[in-house]
Amino acid sequence: MNAALLALICWMSVSSAVCVLGRRSGYIDRIMPFCTMVQLVLAAVLCVPIIDGEVLDDGMFYMDGMSAVFMMLVAMVGAMASVYSMGYIGYESEEGEILTRDIGQYYALMMVFISVMMLTFTARSMAIVWLGIGATTLVSTFLVGFHTDEESTEAAWKYIILCSVGITIALAGYTLVYASTIGAVDSDASLDWPALMAAADSLDPALMKMAMVLIIVGFGTKVGFVPLHAWLPDAHSQAPSPVSGLLSAVLLNCAMYGILRFYSISELVNPGFASSLLLVFGIVSLVIAALFMVSSKDLKRMLAYSSIENMGLIAIGFGIGSPLAIAGAVLQIIAHSITKPILFFSAGNVIQAYGTRDMRRIHGLGRSMPFTSFMLSAGSLAIVGAPPFAVFVSEFTLLSASMDAGMTWLTILMVLALAIVFGGFTRNVFPMMIGACDREVHADERPSRYVPLAILFVTTLALGLFMPEQLKDCIIGIVHTIEGVAVW
Amino acid sequence: MDSVIIGNLIDLCAVLMLLTSVMAVATTRMRPLIQLFSLQSIFLALLAFIIASSSGSHHIYIMCVLTVVLKVIAMPKMLSYIMSKIHVDKEVELSIGIVGSLLLAGVMILLSYYITEPLIASVETVERSCIALSCSMLLIGLLMMCTRRKAITETVGLLMMENGLFLGALALSHGMPLIVELSAFFDVMVAIIIIGIFAYRINKSFNSVDTSFLRRLKE
Repeated sequence: MNAALLALICWMSVSSAVCVLGRRSGYIDRIMPFCTMVQLVLAAVLCVPIIDGEVLDDGMFYMDGMSAVFMMLVAMVGAMASVYSMGYIGYESEEGEILTRDIGQYYALMMVFISVMMLTFTARSMAIVWLGIGATTLVSTFLVGFHTDEESTEAAWKYIILCSVGITIALAGYTLVYASTIGAVDSDASLDWPALMAAADSLDPALMKMAMVLIIVGFGTKVGFVPLHAWLPDAHSQAPSPVSGLLSAVLLNCAMYGILRFYSISELVNPGFASSLLLVFGIVSLVIAALFMVSSKDLKRMLAYSSIENMGLIAIGFGIGSPLAIAGAVLQIIAHSITKPILFFSAGNVIQAYGTRDMRRIHGLGRSMPFTSFMLSAGSLAIVGAPPFAVFVSEFTLLSASMDAGMTWLTILMVLALAIVFGGFTRNVFPMMIGACDREVHADERPSRYVPLAILFVTTLALGLFMPEQLKDCIIGIVHTIEGVAVW
Repeated sequence: MDSVIIGNLIDLCAVLMLLTSVMAVATTRMRPLIQLFSLQSIFLALLAFIIASSSGSHHIYIMCVLTVVLKVIAMPKMLSYIMSKIHVDKEVELSIGIVGSLLLAGVMILLSYYITEPLIASVETVERSCIALSCSMLLIGLLMMCTRRKAITETVGLLMMENGLFLGALALSHGMPLIVELSAFFDVMVAIIIIGIFAYRINKSFNSVDTSFLRRLKE
């Protein structure tokens, strides 16, 4: 077995065990961020050769460029979220909003949550991917309902019920995929992704069509496609801010990963079927979420709708289905995952200092919290696709891909929707920066509140300014994998 | 045994499963609802046993045993425990009446015959007629989740969906690989425990498990 993978898995198990068993210790708030930092380093050791083009194919594990990129995003955002938690959760416990006992529970759950997400990307069998996606819901429900007040209980209830239904529907899709492999794939390997890709010609097209509908609807519930998104704004707005960042930036990716693996199989069996489904879901999500963002009053709800909008853009990219569009969508996944936590973390700073989430009641941020205010505005500009940030590159790629594909109407629609999003952010976020601060603000000055923001900001800026050759090759590799032309 | 008799027995079990789903739609009391779920799981286990013994695929026996242990015994026990713990009143509340729900259930059954028609044509197993029944059970479970207002009844709807899914897996391909079945059991088991904890929490903070109180978060 690959030494780096073995080391990573051992480290994940050990640190999960330590965090769960040691949750009553007073040092848990330092142990857990340390664990995720080491996890980030180990993940980098594992993923860098894979991003360079190696394929890890080892027993029940299989990782190609796509899994490696997704895993690195989880490791990075996970480490940032756990460092940010030190300040955020520390402040809450000082204010007496949460009990000391709950702090340990929070860190333990978060550690397991991050580890489960990372493990999901190492699996060879789609069955394990399903289990991983299901398990992330179960672990994170308690994080969403962490505050145990009425609102967060409601959010957690909606989250677990809707995502359980979604995961059950996806399993129904799996049943059909499995049925279509009978006679085509050896029954021991029947849900292994490489085996499915290799045998795509002999899968039953009628069964695969039905299966794809169920899988896209099922996992799509968790990605947050409109109209299956009802849980998403609630869960993102009620969870503690570090958790919101994780949910939005990487949890949605996990479900998207499940869809993408089946998308590439389905495109070989029924060309154009899965992509048109994704295109429809993508357009609906983009437009509806853009409209909701304009009318939002709650800061974190608006950010949640922005996640739906970004997932819509990603789905549109895969829906267009040309190599350029797929590359744009992959870039959009990366850019969104790095940019969105900036917004959720700085929103966390603002909300704790002002004691409200209502954007109309927050004024004078620029004067009272200059750094957070700068990050919130820079993050807003970054996420709406202003140059020179990473999202600009990916959105521009998507727009030009839709022009190239001859879908001018789609380009116009996307530009209009993005303009609405821009308007929504301008209308809601920027008025918070100016004016006089009309209340007492308890700004928390711990470095753990600023360092993760700064790191993520530099990353998104750097990715927008120049694209490393390595990453470019990797994205081309991912496009080949998704189109099924790579050697697997 | 004669393959015709086996085919008939399998169909009988599947129809009885659908019947329990329809009865669950018409049930207004909580305990019988849980008992109906238990009964439905017995039929599922029976069906798995018949398929296992007739086809000789041994891993289906494992599924059969797990169904009996978890779905016939453990989960109904757990649901009753949650019910007694939160002193829920025994009536099921409906957002549309029984007649309306039954009519909708009928529509669901017709709809599933319509959508599974191309599927049934492309599969050759003896049990293919069960595919439409399994699809109906999925849809009826979904209907229950949408129209019921109590936390527990939403859960039973989810479990009945899951039963329909297993019926479909058996009918299409003589069950799924063991790893998938085990994952599915594990997932639903943990989900029920968590749902139980949250039902308790809802009860504590809203003094009711009526999920229609959960209407605070909206635009």
